[in-house]
Amino acid sequence: MEVMRTAGLSLATLTAAILLGGLLSAIDRRLTARLQSRQGPPLSQPFLDVIKLMAKERMVTNPWQAFSPVASLAAAAFALVLFALQGDLLVVLFVHMVGGVFLVLGAMASPSPYSQTACQRELWQMLCCETLLFLIAGALYLTTGSFRISGMSALSEPLLFRLPFLFAAFLFALTVKMRKSPFDLAGCHHAHQELVRGVYTEYVGPHLGLLEIVHWFDVVLYLAICSLFWATGSRGMVLLPLAAFLAVILLDNVAARLTWRWMLGWGWGAAFVLSAVNLFWLKG
Amino acid sequence: MSEAILVVLIIVPFFAALACFLSRSTAFRAFIVIATAAMLAISSLLLQGPLSPDAGLRWAGIIDPLITGGDFLLLAIMFYLGCRYRHLLIIMLTAGQLGLFVWLEFFVFAGEQGHALFQVDVLSLTLVRVVCLVGSLICLHAMPYMQAHERHLQLDRTRQPQFFAVLLLFLGAMNGLVLTNDLAHFYFFFELTTLCSFLLIGHDGTEEALGNALTALWMNGLGGLLLLLAAGGLYRQSTQLDMGGLVAAAAGNHAALLPLSLLLLAAFIKSAQLPWQRWLLGAMVAPTPTSALLHSSTMVKAGVYLALRFAPAFAGTLLAKGLMLAGGFTFLAAAALAIGQRNAKKVLAYSTISNLGLIFACAGIGTSAAVAAGMLLILFHAVSKGLLFLCVGTAEQQVHSRDLEVMRGLCAQMPFTGMIAVLAVLTLVVPPFGMLLGKWLVFEAGADHLVFYLMLVLGSSLTLLYWVRLAGTLLASAETTGFKPEVQPFLSHFPLLALAGGAVALVLAAPILYGRLLPAGQSCLAGRDGVLMTSAGSFPLVVLFAGAALAGMLALSAVRQAMAGRKVTAYMAGANTRRADYFVGPMSRPVRAVVENCYLAPLFGEERWTLWVNLAAAGLLLFILGGALWK
Amino acid sequence: MGLIDKLISTARRRSPWLLHFDCGSCNGCDIETLACLTPVYDVERFGVVNVGNPKHADILLVTGTVNHRNREVLAVLFEQMPEPKVVVAIGACGLSGGIFREAPNVVGGVDKVIPVDVYVPGCPARPEAIIDGVMLALEKFRGKQ
Repeated sequence: MEVMRTAGLSLATLTAAILLGGLLSAIDRRLTARLQSRQGPPLSQPFLDVIKLMAKERMVTNPWQAFSPVASLAAAAFALVLFALQGDLLVVLFVHMVGGVFLVLGAMASPSPYSQTACQRELWQMLCCETLLFLIAGALYLTTGSFRISGMSALSEPLLFRLPFLFAAFLFALTVKMRKSPFDLAGCHHAHQELVRGVYTEYVGPHLGLLEIVHWFDVVLYLAICSLFWATGSRGMVLLPLAAFLAVILLDNVAARLTWRWMLGWGWGAAFVLSAVNLFWLKG
Repeated sequence: MSEAILVVLIIVPFFAALACFLSRSTAFRAFIVIATAAMLAISSLLLQGPLSPDAGLRWAGIIDPLITGGDFLLLAIMFYLGCRYRHLLIIMLTAGQLGLFVWLEFFVFAGEQGHALFQVDVLSLTLVRVVCLVGSLICLHAMPYMQAHERHLQLDRTRQPQFFAVLLLFLGAMNGLVLTNDLAHFYFFFELTTLCSFLLIGHDGTEEALGNALTALWMNGLGGLLLLLAAGGLYRQSTQLDMGGLVAAAAGNHAALLPLSLLLLAAFIKSAQLPWQRWLLGAMVAPTPTSALLHSSTMVKAGVYLALRFAPAFAGTLLAKGLMLAGGFTFLAAAALAIGQRNAKKVLAYSTISNLGLIFACAGIGTSAAVAAGMLLILFHAVSKGLLFLCVGTAEQQVHSRDLEVMRGLCAQMPFTGMIAVLAVLTLVVPPFGMLLGKWLVFEAGADHLVFYLMLVLGSSLTLLYWVRLAGTLLASAETTGFKPEVQPFLSHFPLLALAGGAVALVLAAPILYGRLLPAGQSCLAGRDGVLMTSAGSFPLVVLFAGAALAGMLALSAVRQAMAGRKVTAYMAGANTRRADYFVGPMSRPVRAVVENCYLAPLFGEERWTLWVNLAAAGLLLFILGGALWK
Repeated sequence: MGLIDKLISTARRRSPWLLHFDCGSCNGCDIETLACLTPVYDVERFGVVNVGNPKHADILLVTGTVNHRNREVLAVLFEQMPEPKVVVAIGACGLSGGIFREAPNVVGGVDKVIPVDVYVPGCPARPEAIIDGVMLALEKFRGKQ
């Protein structure tokens, strides 16, 4: 019975995540287009893109390019399901990391200079994102006494009020993860190009389609973590991530691309220091 | 029965080493090594604890004088080595140890009562199995490796007899070290491993090897001196050398903190923690079996073993807090230094130092979850790191370089070794494998201490970076067609496969181990439906493992489908030539596309940062000593 | 299954990712092609994305006459595109070499190197014509597998 319930919840989570992820991607493109005085594609566009990709010819340079997308997808799906089951946030983050690891491994397997250079940048990006997410897990522990997401229900006041700096750092990590300017260094979106398409350059057809779904899952997971900052009411849990998402899209359209040195130095350095300060305030 | 097994584990390797040294026949030597390896492996699996309270006591009349004699012999040899190579530090340290040993043995320890000479609990059992199983596999791998090594060096007279003799002697010494219950006997085995390390590092006889061997000798000699001082100090507190009794007596006893801090300092040196890492980095010049066996899987674990064994003695004190911070700092700093490294063996060395720092921090945190984490880390680190050293060593033999960039694309040249190396890296960084499980436990146990948690988070992210980069570099292959099969002797293949299988499958034993390590009242937390639980979270091990296996199979079928399709060259703006990594350049000449990893030497370089990092670490060590002396 | 095939066919027609390659053009046709991406014409409403990578592209838009140096590049790019793919030759130069036909270094037309599915005439071709050409090319996907 327990197994059935868990399986049903997992399936529901993954379906919802695919639909939500695609919808968010479509909103992203449409909003960006409107900000640029254009019309933009229909809301079903990302789904059509993925279906088209899945039906393309399979071509690889190296067998790892076929292995990695499946492994990444499994990891991203697992992380989401673990989050939905309100498990241990640390385990969620560790499993989520696996997706990034395989993405880089598959991209490094090809001798293309674009792919290789982008992987170096992607490694710095992963460093930035992972560190800040683990600090959020630390904040969760400091406020609820455990890493379990289910412990959030014991809180009376939204975390955002006590963790403003950490939330700012989280927005930085979200920008990096969503591959938006100014930090779309290792694999930007669609028509923008940086190192052609960065880590995604060598992936073809169905493999690229799977990675697109992985990206959707990742964005949904990050927005779910964002909802932890206002976990006291269902309105807050929906509106805060939505606001964060829209803020990132706005930033994307306003900002120019920066270098990875800037991202590591000022971006991540400042974010880490501010988060650490915030955690010390929280503790003492 | 247990005593017979103890004899096999500790005594038989000594005789096997002698036989190896004296024999001139390669076949006979091979037989001895294989037979000893098999015996050790089987014995370690048969060994069960706990032993009776007077284990080995009736042999004390023979064992004590033997070990005392052995101590004198060891120190005499080291003194001789110091004189021969005119190394003032070694001479001074050995003389100091001799004097101190004579005084302690004949005037201080004289009134000591009889106690169990051996003990077997979960900690020592784990280490014995690591030494005997992983160590035996490494010895098997060493046989064809050393033959190829000597062929490459074109030696006219083989030096394998002494190499394998010292290797087997070392296995016996390690077994004695983890099974003994007497602190003075522990000192003997401790110093014996130091001597073995010296002999093995300097094996090739080059000037560089000798210099590094002497560095290892003096640093570990200092560790031995500190251990002696600690033993004397602890004896003065409770007039016993029974390690179990010492731990119990020292708990809560403030006066015992100073000798305990000296003990920890000795452990630090043995495990090459900052600022003592120089000897381990220098030891990387030794042949691969040495690096795999001594300097990643077993000898350096002697230090963390000591710390974990004595952890209850200083739990909750300022000393423990200092230990936690020093361990955490080593974890972070060594990971950062590894990012700036191009030398593949040095990356592995820094990673070993980093992980050992983490285990020291576990001993410092001191809760049962933390100690359990430390033990899991010891086990899984030994298996995965030993495997990785063997792979890198095999690769180095082929490409004749330790530079990671020269090893780029290894998976095309040496598919078997390359894939196993990548698998080993994955077992080090990815759930559901054991290292990640241990790291998760440390996160759970250490989250209360914010500074330590910050170091943990940073170090963990940096660790991921250099491992993924290393694995990716091995994969980066220009070949689009099939690969040439790699031909290797069975004794090279088998240990790699066995260790890889162990690294993957052992994690399923983790819930059982975890359950045994928790105090009796909490053991219900572990292993329920294969979920490991602590007070702050849970790790669904079996589900993740099953999921990983399923995903792996799906991914492999995707690979099969893709390989049946069209192969395509990498994108190089259309300027590809027929050779996979060349493009059409100026004057229509083919140009090789060369990409290297970004090592960021100004930020992570060893040359630039070692001094500062050592100063910071020394500061933390002073903080530990101060904590022992305070109030 | 008929439903799946219809879905795939629809997706292919409504998600055209194109690679734009200049094979020695005077840039007149290129400017007009890129003008299609601007707010005035906005081809992204049809799902068109200008990817710079043949491995991600469905449609190859080629301008210019093709000369003896870049004919190999064009061939490599075409080979690196996964099936199903279509090629659109843009401008008079792409059809037959245009006014540069007689020059010694000119190959004279894209279809001398790779198979072309749609020809868009003009010098330069108007953006409306280019969009029409791309839409015609998408219809070709109905037949391709």
